[in-house]
Amino acid sequence: MDFLYTYIVLAEIYVLLGLSTNLLVGIVGIFSVSQAAVFGVGAYIVAHFMMAADPLSFIPSLAIAAACCIALNILVTLPSLRVSGDYFVVTSFGIQLLATAVFINWTVGTGGANGLPGIPPPDIFGLPIETNQQYVLLCTAASVLGCLAFWLIMRAPFGRLLRAIREDETAVAAAGKNVLRAKVSAAALAGAFAGTAGGLYATFLSFIDPFSFDLDASILLLTMIVVGGARTLAGSIVGPFLLLALPQVLTLVDIPTTIAAAARQLIYGLLLIAFMLFRPQGLAGERL
Amino acid sequence: MLALQLLVTGLVTGCALGVVAISFSLVYATTKIFHVAHAGIYTLGGYLAWSLMTYRVPLALAFLLPVAACAVLGALMQSQLYARLERRRATHLVVLIASLGTLAVIQNIIAAVYTPNILQFPLNWSSRMVAFGPVRLNWTQLLTVAVSVAAYAGTMWFAHRTILGKRIRAVASNPMLADITRLQPQTVYVYVIAIASALVCLPGILVPLDLGLQPYNGVTPLLTATIAMIAGGVGSITGAFVLSVAIAVLQNLSLLVMPGEWSIGVTFFIFVIFMLFRPTGLFAAAR
Amino acid sequence: MTAFMQVAGLDHRFGGLHALRDCSFTIEQGRITCLVGPNGAGKTTIFNVITGFLVPDEGSVAFRDRKLDGLRPQAIVRAGIARTFQNLRLFADLNALDNVMIGIAGQFGEEPVGAIFRPLHTSRAQRRRRQEALATLDHVGLADRAHDVVRNLSYGEQKLLTVARVLATGAELLLLDEPASGLSAGALDAVMALLRRLQSEGKTLLVVEHNTRVVQQIADDVLFLHQGHLMAQGTPERIIGDPALAEIYFGGAL
Repeated sequence: MDFLYTYIVLAEIYVLLGLSTNLLVGIVGIFSVSQAAVFGVGAYIVAHFMMAADPLSFIPSLAIAAACCIALNILVTLPSLRVSGDYFVVTSFGIQLLATAVFINWTVGTGGANGLPGIPPPDIFGLPIETNQQYVLLCTAASVLGCLAFWLIMRAPFGRLLRAIREDETAVAAAGKNVLRAKVSAAALAGAFAGTAGGLYATFLSFIDPFSFDLDASILLLTMIVVGGARTLAGSIVGPFLLLALPQVLTLVDIPTTIAAAARQLIYGLLLIAFMLFRPQGLAGERL
Repeated sequence: MLALQLLVTGLVTGCALGVVAISFSLVYATTKIFHVAHAGIYTLGGYLAWSLMTYRVPLALAFLLPVAACAVLGALMQSQLYARLERRRATHLVVLIASLGTLAVIQNIIAAVYTPNILQFPLNWSSRMVAFGPVRLNWTQLLTVAVSVAAYAGTMWFAHRTILGKRIRAVASNPMLADITRLQPQTVYVYVIAIASALVCLPGILVPLDLGLQPYNGVTPLLTATIAMIAGGVGSITGAFVLSVAIAVLQNLSLLVMPGEWSIGVTFFIFVIFMLFRPTGLFAAAR
Repeated sequence: MTAFMQVAGLDHRFGGLHALRDCSFTIEQGRITCLVGPNGAGKTTIFNVITGFLVPDEGSVAFRDRKLDGLRPQAIVRAGIARTFQNLRLFADLNALDNVMIGIAGQFGEEPVGAIFRPLHTSRAQRRRRQEALATLDHVGLADRAHDVVRNLSYGEQKLLTVARVLATGAELLLLDEPASGLSAGALDAVMALLRRLQSEGKTLLVVEHNTRVVQQIADDVLFLHQGHLMAQGTPERIIGDPALAEIYFGGAL
């Protein structure tokens, strides 16, 4: 039973991350392998404020983390709006590797490679969240709100504007719209989602380490969107739930634990290739 | 004295990096594909050589067979993956994701077969030191410089003096025209990626000979090499090589003032500076 | 008297190509002006300069006595000048209605905060905007294709849709890049009738056009451009009847 709760909570956290990645990769159409870095920054910030000598409670910590991640994601994305798409690949890889270097080596702030244990459980306005059922409620609420926001955006003029930008930026500018502002808004929103997911993740597991937020984690996020499908709410939900079930399926197959991680990443890679070749719209999305 | 030693070590690392950069630059300038999977080929070359050496295959063969294997793998990647995507008019983003997927597949096959732990080459001469005045280098480092400079010279000769090289440069400068004039870009792309894969296999073997092998160690060199390529000016072989050496030297000298864990920060800082002030690179050809 | 739009001393080089040479002209309000000249004369380059997609080496553009120099394309649309593209640049995966609605300025819910926190207001505002867009589509004769995806429209319908999109911006001066090229006779008549109708409604039009029959039928003024320079200006009869210009035009085209 505990296992099922854990699966649901993690999947819901990854739904928020899926929405975040989908906004950037699917909707704005930029290649990003640094969303896990933003996710990690959110997690470390929430952990930091909740474990400070004079601790903040969960909601304010989460708000600070979300604000920082909005700013960070805008900074991370801005180069893509100025330099050509290919140069942004370098930026994106660079930011992910740099973030991992900070998470591992800035021992004072992050606990280094050993990670940061003992993160207190969250509370909602004084009401502590301790049992698994409460966590499921909290994360369900958060992911439903995230999905609702995504859905509202996609049916509003903002969603139409983003779709149009992905097709032809020049034509959007010629129609009198500010392309840069729209892209920055999408990036900001993606940052808010990733930061919130980070806060939920840190408090749920009560332990974080750099390896949850490395390049492989970013590749996992990308795989979720590719498998689920770009630009749709359904795609952002299907991807995380399917891919997080994969490690459990792998335990049924008799794979030595030493290569389990590699086998998992190997499958993500194969999924990326196969979907790009045969089904670029994913299971429930639109063509990338 | 430490500074001098770091400078020389930087030159050595830079030469190896330079070969990664010129090979990536060949692919990128010609096919316009941001071939992330190149990092996987780099890593694979080293592991193949390690296997051959542990089976006591003659040293020359242990170098040449991986080079050939990488060339074949690169050609397959172009003809089976990129060409297919191109035929389906896949967007740039889709090609990139497929390339990233290929990188993940190669790295993790290696990790599954060889374990993710660090492996050292079973050679006794490779780490033997030679002193040049106050500077000390090992045999691997000397070999690295010799092979890298030869690879650079060879690439220059190939690009400017051979028919295939000229054909590649023609396709790079105008693929559409090349298509019409029956230079057959798609065939040329297969050659280009094969040659680049063979080239990148050289540092892929030489660098781990000194520092050891790890399955996920290809991404950082490729990223640094890409930055060197951009800073040198896309399409310029000399630019890519020179800037690789410069970046590696700067990285090494930065060790005087900060610990080595942050060298990725130094590299990235250089990239940001170039993006801000000279996005076309130092050796950019007039367009 | 100041002109409706004044283009003064435009000069621009693309590397070795001198695309615009000291090019100056004025456009008067309420008229249809045709911009003609051989291929490579700089017609589209002028469009790009006026609409802010290209910053010229020298020269300036003024609209209603306001300098437009240095404004971004979206700011120029808000100032009242909108353009179409020779290669259409429609949003092929969106339907006709959405293509038009992209052009409508100042919509509520065009940024995430409004869209998320005031969804009801957003959808009410959208309903009004949708009526506007439908009216615009009706105006160009595409009312029945509103919900069809652009890639399923005929070429002629797509051309009309580009006009609908610039109309939706509310701009007073419309720059149309070859609105009649590649159309069948029937579609051609529809486009010409539409341009006349727009003029009667008070729009000012600057049109790049190759077809001399179209120029003769719709133009009030003709600007003849050659090698980036304004070579002649006058009524369609005078410009088209001039044998020297015809020589350049047809000689240059070959």
